[in-house]
Amino acid sequence: MRSIWAVAVNTLKQALRLKIAAVFIVLLLVLLPVMGLKMTGDGTLKGRMQAFVSYGLSLTTLLLALLTIFTAAYTLTSDVKDKQVYTVLTKPIRRFQFVLGKLFGVILLDAALLTLFSVIIYSITILLPTLLHADNDQIAQVRNEFFTARASLTPAEPDISEELDKAYNKLKQDGEVPAGVDENPVTRNNYRNELARRIGLRKRAAVVGEELLWEFNNVKPKDPNQELFIRFKYDVAVNPQDLSIYSRWGIGDLRQLRLGTSIETPLYSLERKDLIRTFREFAVPADAVAGDGYLALAFLNDPLNDTVVIFPLEDGLELLYKADTFTANFIRAALLIFVRLVFLAAFAVFAGSFLSFPVAILLCLSVFGMANMSGYIGESYHAVGVQPSGLYSYFLKPLIMLLPEFDQISPSKFLVPARLFSWSSLGWLSFTTICLKALPLAIMSLLIFTYREIAKVIV
Amino acid sequence: MEYAIETFSLTKIFADWWGRNRVVAVDDLNLKIRTNEVYGFLGPNGSGKTTTLKMLLGLLHPTKGKALVLEGDATDPQISSRIGFLPEESYLYKYLTARETLDFYGQLFKLPAKVRKMRIEALLDMVGLKAVANRTVGTFSKGMARRIGLAQALINDPQLLILDEPTTGLDPIGTRQIKDLIIELAKRGKTVLLCSHLLADVEDVCDRIAILYGGRIQAEGSVRDLLRHSDKTEIVTGRLSPATLEKIKQTLADDHTEYTIGSPLDKLETFFINIVARAQQQAVPTSGAESGTQISEFLSAKTDERARREAILNQLVSASPSDEQAANTDTQNVQPQPVPATSADENLLNRLTEQVDSKPVTTQPTKAKPQPAKSDQPDKSILDELTGRPSPDKKNAHPGDSANA
Repeated sequence: MRSIWAVAVNTLKQALRLKIAAVFIVLLLVLLPVMGLKMTGDGTLKGRMQAFVSYGLSLTTLLLALLTIFTAAYTLTSDVKDKQVYTVLTKPIRRFQFVLGKLFGVILLDAALLTLFSVIIYSITILLPTLLHADNDQIAQVRNEFFTARASLTPAEPDISEELDKAYNKLKQDGEVPAGVDENPVTRNNYRNELARRIGLRKRAAVVGEELLWEFNNVKPKDPNQELFIRFKYDVAVNPQDLSIYSRWGIGDLRQLRLGTSIETPLYSLERKDLIRTFREFAVPADAVAGDGYLALAFLNDPLNDTVVIFPLEDGLELLYKADTFTANFIRAALLIFVRLVFLAAFAVFAGSFLSFPVAILLCLSVFGMANMSGYIGESYHAVGVQPSGLYSYFLKPLIMLLPEFDQISPSKFLVPARLFSWSSLGWLSFTTICLKALPLAIMSLLIFTYREIAKVIV
Repeated sequence: MEYAIETFSLTKIFADWWGRNRVVAVDDLNLKIRTNEVYGFLGPNGSGKTTTLKMLLGLLHPTKGKALVLEGDATDPQISSRIGFLPEESYLYKYLTARETLDFYGQLFKLPAKVRKMRIEALLDMVGLKAVANRTVGTFSKGMARRIGLAQALINDPQLLILDEPTTGLDPIGTRQIKDLIIELAKRGKTVLLCSHLLADVEDVCDRIAILYGGRIQAEGSVRDLLRHSDKTEIVTGRLSPATLEKIKQTLADDHTEYTIGSPLDKLETFFINIVARAQQQAVPTSGAESGTQISEFLSAKTDERARREAILNQLVSASPSDEQAANTDTQNVQPQPVPATSADENLLNRLTEQVDSKPVTTQPTKAKPQPAKSDQPDKSILDELTGRPSPDKKNAHPGDSANA
């Protein structure tokens, strides 16, 4: 353990004294405050803060990721190339201890720098309202919609299998299923999928004067005096003239209405006019939630409209409520970044254990790029809609699965909309990234380095 | 433990990427290096010396055969904690200071902080880099880096020291110091494997040598046996009067023996050391390494009792290797050889010697004086004795004395 520690400290000194880290540190120290003061976002205080946190954390992540890759790949390859290993590995240290020391050194560097920059970003964010002399309304908005961590509930997808079977059978009976489709399992499946999509769409669409109802269970706001937020986005069949939709909403335990029992929790209703294809949000008091955590939402497509309103499948409607603090969420965001840096460090050490520096860097950067685009690569294949080729099925897809998917959850994805990133999500992500993806790499690099010939061929 | 290093048919064949063009770097090598032996490994460039060392240390895997170091595998921490290794160049971390470098290696040996600190200071002192201990190694000259390399090889007080061309880049004083150190370590029961193509280094310190060529041992044996001309005799005496000389010539002529007569030459090394020692006495400033003062205490003595015993032994034997070096001869009976200024058959070097120093330049005068038994100072440097340079405490007490010397 002591030898590992000695190597780790030595690696840390190397990174700091060879000025690799210094470049990145100075860059961030200059850029972060400038970003804090110069970024405007959409002009509101909330927009500025969202822009700063989003870009600040993204920039920090990017630069620290590059620093990690460079340091981790350099520290091992340079020791082999410049032959310091001759003096180190002939001392009483096992080779795996040497590699572990290198890895820990890089991780230590990451931990130190990430702590430093997280604290800087956090402090600037907290101080921004004061620095910008924001008025009380803006501060209140920021407190409710930014300095918080809101849990998000999306409506459960309704089970439509029965309905689908019924509809399909009816079409078959009516002879409306095209000839040959039912015989071939592939075409039948495609046909049924299309049918299911239509049924699902119909369930998320409201014609003029029609009502949609969503029911949520397990709504557990921290405090009944706080507010619930309904965040939604409209799609329409035909664009209305002013690109806006009139609506009426009813929120509360709507079972009380149906059963005609006495009203115990308040029911809220409101009328709105909202832009289409834009995220909109409104608040209702949290006491609308029933004692058993039940809450219903009703939407009425107001007869003033003249189009069908559709709530998109992915992000059509969300129920949000405060579940944790911004600070806790921010700490989890920093830890998420840390987990990614640990993976990159393990990967770069792995590459450095058998490759030369330039090749190792090239490999690491490719992997980093792929991890950042994993979703995009997958989607692009699915979007085409054709049968994926062997290259995708047997090479790209397994590769993407082996790599961490950095673009799936990024800190700005939950910090900007003030969405809760729970400890359990962080735990699961850490487990998959570190134990399932980084650990095998680390073990492989230990094995490779232990059994490879260290000395160059000099005759 | 009879052998410190033992190899059995050790073979290394380098192949290209496709497994072709094989180069046999080391071929069926059977080395047996005894414990407490100074073993010289000689050979021209590319003869397989360094490859052998790398296989001994586990940096290369043998294609065939086996190597035992201290009766085990050198990659085993139990074994490697007793080995000191100086590679052919001092591969150091350029961003660490000299002191940090030694501390790093000390930590790898898991030395307690106190011992580490003590040894680092002693070693820095020994290799003469105490004044630049806080400078990064990257700013060091090749010779200074070499000194740090040597210090790191000694930090664990190794039983077996493997030195790959230890004197490259070193000035003559440093070279001499390393040689003295090797002799000193051998006296303490350590084993030294010295790998070099500088024949003079090997000749001066090694008990046995092997000459390697094409990965095979071409000759092996003790230096004296290998170099002795059994059909020749050399006599070294004090200055002879012309009459005596004539008599000897006559005797030899009567005997029909071929002979040459001349004055023995000093070694350039000895001469150089004298000049620098004098400059040091005059406190000429230098930005480089200074000559170390003494062989580090932890390397030379384990306990006070042993130190005292060895101190006496030291003084009795310390000069004998130098005798051989100074006279460059096989015999032991070297006598002081003052050279008068008017000597007729002097060469250029000797004349130079007279101009700068009226004292005789051989090592004898210092040694010839009876030495007081100073049991509390066992480690007086051979270099100091050699050059007549006072030890530092003495110098501090009487700065003027040495300048006048």
